[in-house]
Amino acid sequence: MAPLVPKSGDAIFASIDRVNAELFTLTYGAMVRQLLTDLEEVDVVNKQLDQMGYNIGVRLIDEFLAKSNVSRCVDFKETADVIAKVGLKMFLGVTASVSNWDPEGSSFSLVLDDNPLVDFVELPDTFQGLHYCNILSGVIRGALEMVSMKTEITWIRDMLHGDDAYELRVKLLKQIPEEYPYKDDE
Amino acid sequence: MIACVAVVGHQNNPLYLQSFTGADDALKLHHIVHCSLDVIDERVNNPKRSVITLNESYLGLLYPTESYKVYGYLSNTKVKFLVVTTDLDVKDTDIRSFFRRFHAAYVDAVSNPFHVPGKKIISRIFAVRVSGIVKAFAPGTYG
Repeated sequence: MAPLVPKSGDAIFASIDRVNAELFTLTYGAMVRQLLTDLEEVDVVNKQLDQMGYNIGVRLIDEFLAKSNVSRCVDFKETADVIAKVGLKMFLGVTASVSNWDPEGSSFSLVLDDNPLVDFVELPDTFQGLHYCNILSGVIRGALEMVSMKTEITWIRDMLHGDDAYELRVKLLKQIPEEYPYKDDE
Repeated sequence: MIACVAVVGHQNNPLYLQSFTGADDALKLHHIVHCSLDVIDERVNNPKRSVITLNESYLGLLYPTESYKVYGYLSNTKVKFLVVTTDLDVKDTDIRSFFRRFHAAYVDAVSNPFHVPGKKIISRIFAVRVSGIVKAFAPGTYG
């Protein structure tokens, strides 16, 4: 069988089923609004969004690997590129750029200039601490955990707080080797 | 010169009112906007039988008073957009395009998940966009 060639983000994005962008944006907005009404505390909502993103990420990674045919990433740098160019393009329709690698190569910044989740959104003053797109950090964290990388993700810049772009800092904490559920000598 | 713009909800509750005159006649402008609402209600309740009104009814000149003219526009959700202008001759097409842009800005403001329908519009981006549309409108009438 011929080796599968990894498809580019654009090609996959064009071939899978898509949903109306405004419907997606308004649904996400309604969900965040409801979370704020139910939980009331901005920090609790941030954590909840991250947890929801984590649950999405652990399931999303399988679809991603199946549709995109990318081979195993050699190092963390390649992982970063794959997330930015293929992953985000495939699921959100936007590409991000990777920058600000630290000297050990264990953490990088993902910069998004455009984010479909936040169209039309303006944060009122009472919710200034809210990380509206926190679901994205959860998704990336969950997806990477399923491929044996434990990461920590924080928001550096947020357009809803007045910055010019969205910047996520992804830090690799450790690579978890795969554990087999049975002992070798049995 | 546009004196003020207003957005009024379907229960005649004010959603947005912004005056651009600089002089302190906000109260007078509120009063004018209020009277215009009555005119709109009249027009809506007695539709002209011969003309089929379009979905987004541009209501046109509502009433001219002393030095002001009031134009109205009704969206299909019964949200009323009003503009009070001091210009003596304003082209119909200019006002129509003004209302179209105004309506578009309103739709974007209302799509904000933090906006409560029925409450006043507190979006700063909306205010900036409306000021921009008003500024872009004024020079056109002298052309």
